[in-house]
Amino acid sequence: MNQTVGGVAITPELLIFGGVAGAAALCAIGVVAFNNAIRSALCLVVNFFLLAFLYFTLNAEMLGITQVVVYTGAIMVLFLFVIMLLNLGAPNLLVEKKDPKKYLGILLGCGMFVLLGSQLLPELLKINAPTLSPELARFGGPEAIGRSLFTAYVYPFEAVSVLLLIGIVGSILLAKRRI
Amino acid sequence: MNYESIWLVLLFPIVGFLIQALLGTRIEKMLGRRALGAIAVLPIVLSFVVGLLITLNTKGGPEATANIANLGKWIDAANLRIPFEFIVDPLSMTMVLIITGIGSLIHLYATGYMSEEKDYARFFTYMNLFIFSMLVLVLGANLVLLFVGWEGVGLCSYLLIGFWYKDLANAKAANKAFIVNRIGDWGLTLGLLMIVALLMKNQVGSSDGRYLSYDSMLPALRTALEHNPGMATVIGLLLFVGAAGKSAQFPLYLWLPDAMAGPTPVSALIHAATMVTSGVVLLNRMHVVFEMSPVASAIICAIGAFTALFAALIAFGQTDIKKVLAYSTVSQLGFMFIACGAGAYWAGMFHVTTHAFFKALLFLGAGAVIHAMAHNQDMRNYGNLRKYLPITFWTMILGTLAICAVGVPGVFGFAGFYSKEAILGAALANTHAQMEGIQVGQIAGWVGLGVAALTSIYMTRLTCLTFLGTEERWRNIPAADHHGHDDAHADEHHHELDANHTPKEVPPSMWFPLVVLALLSVGGGFVLANNGAFEHWLYPNELPILGKVSTEPSNIPLAMYSTIAAVGGIILGLAFYLKGLPKNQGFDESAWSPLRRLERDQFGYDHAMTVASVEGGGDIANALWKWFDNLLVDGVVEGSGKVSAGIGLLLKRFQTGYIRLYALMMLVGFVGFIGYFAYMLSQGGH
Amino acid sequence: MNGVPLGAYIGLSLFMFTTGVVGVIIRRNPIVIFMCIELMLNSVNLTFLTFARYQMASKPDDRIAMQNSMMAGQMMVIFVMAVAAAEVAVGLGIIMAIYRLRDSVDIDELNLLRG
Repeated sequence: MNQTVGGVAITPELLIFGGVAGAAALCAIGVVAFNNAIRSALCLVVNFFLLAFLYFTLNAEMLGITQVVVYTGAIMVLFLFVIMLLNLGAPNLLVEKKDPKKYLGILLGCGMFVLLGSQLLPELLKINAPTLSPELARFGGPEAIGRSLFTAYVYPFEAVSVLLLIGIVGSILLAKRRI
Repeated sequence: MNYESIWLVLLFPIVGFLIQALLGTRIEKMLGRRALGAIAVLPIVLSFVVGLLITLNTKGGPEATANIANLGKWIDAANLRIPFEFIVDPLSMTMVLIITGIGSLIHLYATGYMSEEKDYARFFTYMNLFIFSMLVLVLGANLVLLFVGWEGVGLCSYLLIGFWYKDLANAKAANKAFIVNRIGDWGLTLGLLMIVALLMKNQVGSSDGRYLSYDSMLPALRTALEHNPGMATVIGLLLFVGAAGKSAQFPLYLWLPDAMAGPTPVSALIHAATMVTSGVVLLNRMHVVFEMSPVASAIICAIGAFTALFAALIAFGQTDIKKVLAYSTVSQLGFMFIACGAGAYWAGMFHVTTHAFFKALLFLGAGAVIHAMAHNQDMRNYGNLRKYLPITFWTMILGTLAICAVGVPGVFGFAGFYSKEAILGAALANTHAQMEGIQVGQIAGWVGLGVAALTSIYMTRLTCLTFLGTEERWRNIPAADHHGHDDAHADEHHHELDANHTPKEVPPSMWFPLVVLALLSVGGGFVLANNGAFEHWLYPNELPILGKVSTEPSNIPLAMYSTIAAVGGIILGLAFYLKGLPKNQGFDESAWSPLRRLERDQFGYDHAMTVASVEGGGDIANALWKWFDNLLVDGVVEGSGKVSAGIGLLLKRFQTGYIRLYALMMLVGFVGFIGYFAYMLSQGGH
Repeated sequence: MNGVPLGAYIGLSLFMFTTGVVGVIIRRNPIVIFMCIELMLNSVNLTFLTFARYQMASKPDDRIAMQNSMMAGQMMVIFVMAVAAAEVAVGLGIIMAIYRLRDSVDIDELNLLRG
């Protein structure tokens, strides 16, 4: 199939990408649109899964797995946990009044998308993925990431570990009833 | 001693001032008032001695030169230099002798007069400071030092007039003196500045920048004014404004009668002998300017004559003995200005000298009377005091004869006789002071002759009411209760005058100066006028522009007229007042004649001036406050505050506290930013 | 993937980012706001990885630099994930504390910063 749409060649990969990306976009809208907070959270979970798939297509296998494990497996679980704990899911809670900020926000959001998109996308759509040699194609694998994490990026790594420690301490402090 | 030692003359009074200012009260407590009095009088006497020695070494006559002692740098700017320099020449030494000589006599008198007052130390501190300032004024070798002394004597005058400041009227009188003087100072400052500007513009004057020093300024002024004759009038009139302020000429005389609120020694020293003659000294120094301007000289003559007449008339309506003498001083100062206007500057200085003698004598004598009469100054309460105060009486008679200019021409005259002759003669003979063809100087001379007669009459009135007659008018005051008055008002003054009071003659410290001054009033004129000694001493050469100024009018028998005026006036006065107080001049002032009542109120001039300046000034100040300060200035200041606050209130609306709004604002900003760049790129870019 | 242009990934990422922004402004439930923030972070992650993959399109010659850039993209994503995790923990702790205090989590009622 060598058809082009708007200068972009239609390939099977593009179709797969389009489906996945479209679903991810719909889920993103769903996060914002649902009144029920649990439904928003679940939409986000689906979104993250689809993103993990996209990471795989980008040769970032390690990160794709990390996305599933950390984001969906930990962070979203935490979200759902808090929603259910505080019973914030009920849709009749926080009935949104008619709020001009809402429409202004949507309008501005569209505006931002259009502005940025019009600047970036025409050029970027012309660029195609370069072919990678096999050893380069493994740059997203655990070995490459591990090596780079412990050699070139060891300082940020240690710093992030301190940050996580602080995060732990902070969240424990915040969650205590009495300090 | 030569002129280099002139700094000693200045040193003694200022050291005396410092000692008394810092240690005065302590010395008074430890050693008593007599010691303090001695410390007060001694510096002046020492200055007099040094001054006398220097004078003996100063040449008068045709070889007179001005010696300048330079004591150091003061103002040393690029093209204007004003050093601390002091000039020793006949004019300055004459004034030094008057100031320190009569000053020391008055200091001695004051030790007796003020012996029962509080603040003894403060009084003499101020008096010494005054002597110092006056010496700076006359000894200064440039106009700026003269001005320093000018201001200094104004300050001391204020301090001394308001010596008994707890009485509000005295404080007001002191304020009045200072403020009216200030008006004169304005004129003097402008004149000074115009001189500098003129000299700098014409590139004459000192090459080393000493524009205002007499030795370089006066010849330079002559050259500069020849090219700019109009400037001579302007500068002359401005300097005269200054002189009029200090020397109490119309319209700036009104501080002098009020200044009688101060103690009598102050009136004698400052307002008779020395400070009020500063104007005449200034005119003598700057005579070059006046010689070149007939118009200015005419105006001086006119104002001098008018003042003399005006003050003499007012003197008739006064019942306070010191006020009569004050107006007499104003009148005599008018005479001095007539002389200066006519070109006979030495005659003005001669009258300064003789006036210092007899007016100081008259004031001190009046002080003795006041002292003896329990500080009551109203002449309607006096009478027949010659019985009780003989020394005072005889000395005051001599002083009165001196001021009335009594004398036999060619033989002998009292002090005033010679000086007044010289003045009137110069005025009647001169042709310099003229305006538009009118010989103002000569008219002034005739007016002066009339005023001489009036002087005799009112001085005789004073003498008769005070000393002569047989009725002791204070016996008419009801007897007051002596005992049981509390200390509240007994501090400053003695018990009030009442019918049982017996005047006592004053102590020697007070009558000794009277005697000395009486001798000077009698013989001083004769000695100084002998063969024109004073004239040659002061002005050895002819005047640079006017040449020889004659004091003998050609076809007027001046000697006869002036003798008639003097003696006739005395006879008229005796006729009216010898029998005591006339019925229609008593305590019931509504019975006075209308003219006398006008004279009592200075023909309404004082009241008019007070209303105009005090209330007028107050109105202007109020209007300015209301419109300019409140509305404009405060409006701008507070307005800027209100504007800031208003902007703040406006901006406060954005701080709602809603996070979503903040996020929205961020988004708005972001979109705007991106939009702007997109637009720019699409316009100019690829 | 080989046939997908760069702009496609970037377009998706832009879309997700915009949606996240709109969500932060529109929603009143703070948990949902947090989720939208996560959405934004993920879009950024996608961008990083996309550019890491498409590096060769720009610098085909300098292998070492290119390899460094590719690794840099991955590293950024790792750190973003770590930070996002810490942030979620702390943020949810804050929300719980506020809920305990006020018994409601309407973000429009949290206006103590009002000027």
